[in-house]
Amino acid sequence: MRLILCAVYVFVGAVLFALPNLTRRELLFAVPILPDFRESPAGRRAIASFRAAITAAVLAGVGVLLASPANLLNATATAVPLLLLFVAGISFYRQNRKLAPAAIQYTRPREVELTTAPEELPRFAWLAAGPFAILAAVAAWLHLHWDKIPGRFPVHFDASGNPNRWAERTLHGVYGPLVWGAELCAWVLVMALAGWFGSRRSRFRTTMLGAVIAVEYLLGVLFSLNAVQAPLGIPAWVILLATMAILIPLIIVMRNKIREPGGPMDATPKEGWKGRVFYYNPNDAALVVERRVGLGWTFNFANPWSWVLLLGLALVIASARFALA
Amino acid sequence: MAHDPRIRFDPASGIPAVRQIADRLRVLLVEGQLQPGAALPSVRRLAMELGVHFNTVAEAYRELAAEGWLDLKHGRGAVVIPRTVPARQDDAWSEDFRLRMRSLVAQMRSQGIPAERIAEELRAIAKVVTRT
Repeated sequence: MRLILCAVYVFVGAVLFALPNLTRRELLFAVPILPDFRESPAGRRAIASFRAAITAAVLAGVGVLLASPANLLNATATAVPLLLLFVAGISFYRQNRKLAPAAIQYTRPREVELTTAPEELPRFAWLAAGPFAILAAVAAWLHLHWDKIPGRFPVHFDASGNPNRWAERTLHGVYGPLVWGAELCAWVLVMALAGWFGSRRSRFRTTMLGAVIAVEYLLGVLFSLNAVQAPLGIPAWVILLATMAILIPLIIVMRNKIREPGGPMDATPKEGWKGRVFYYNPNDAALVVERRVGLGWTFNFANPWSWVLLLGLALVIASARFALA
Repeated sequence: MAHDPRIRFDPASGIPAVRQIADRLRVLLVEGQLQPGAALPSVRRLAMELGVHFNTVAEAYRELAAEGWLDLKHGRGAVVIPRTVPARQDDAWSEDFRLRMRSLVAQMRSQGIPAERIAEELRAIAKVVTRT
């Protein structure tokens, strides 16, 4: 179990290490720059400094995880990733401050086609139904193999791999996680549609839709594996492998798409970015805009629909109390 | 395949967004790039694409509707309608517009645009004006 924890930790560290390359070429540590600035001594120095901090934190974290006594492993497994995120946040902020003088103004004029063409979803959007089909198929399989399900089975494990939550072979115990998984997938699907219809037309909009649908698949697969874990005795590393099998290609594809040259950056005004991460611009009608940190998109928190969607997520999370009871 | 006309919006220009949008659309309407019967994008979509508030686009549409260019119908969006150009009998307007044009030319020159280039632009505009 320690090795699995270390693997997850190193994976998160690797993603953070790659963070400077997981944005458009015109952005470095959330600072708008000229695309060739990255190759300048100042750009290289900033990236190297950030990566040195991440590497040190990952190595220290792995050491702590491996050396931690068994009775402290739960606490260590929670504290170490938090520390890594803290180090990444501080280091990111430091580089952002250092690069601020090199920032260029990105308020280029917008040119818009006066089209009334209907906003049709791309053909692949029907794939969003897939995770629901997977969850339904697993539910059907569990129904057919009801006798194979133990009377009492573990549904949650601590950092040492010991079960710390159990369920019984009842409709609630067996199907509850699947129902909750379906709720989460439904929320992600709503996000995908909100992202499509609430963002500016750009070639990245299709990528965004595809990425959100991939996340929906990840959730569908994880909850399905979790549901059949007890009757089939699926080991934890299989679940980890399935997660990586979806996440790694997703990150690579998004990274390549976002770094393709040619597409102008979504010229969101600097004043709209609060704390470099949160976009709040009441004068922008968009619900979703391109992020300035990492891959993907973020809400315009000045749009009331962003709060409605977040409230929806809060309700889904709150419903776990009933679904997973 | 014919392309839909485009409008340009510069958030850094210092000109209010509603002014820019109404002016750009008026140019397209006057030049005939937007013909009667043509539908404009919904307020929501155009505001999102331009990165402005819904009210800004709605106000620009209302301004053009008040001038007789657009018909705003609830649920149908904005549609270009035939417009009768009001006949101006007096000459009072000419001095006002001449002043504004001279001011614009002065602004271009002060920004370093060569006089010949400005004259070229004005000739191109004159060609479009006499054609439409």
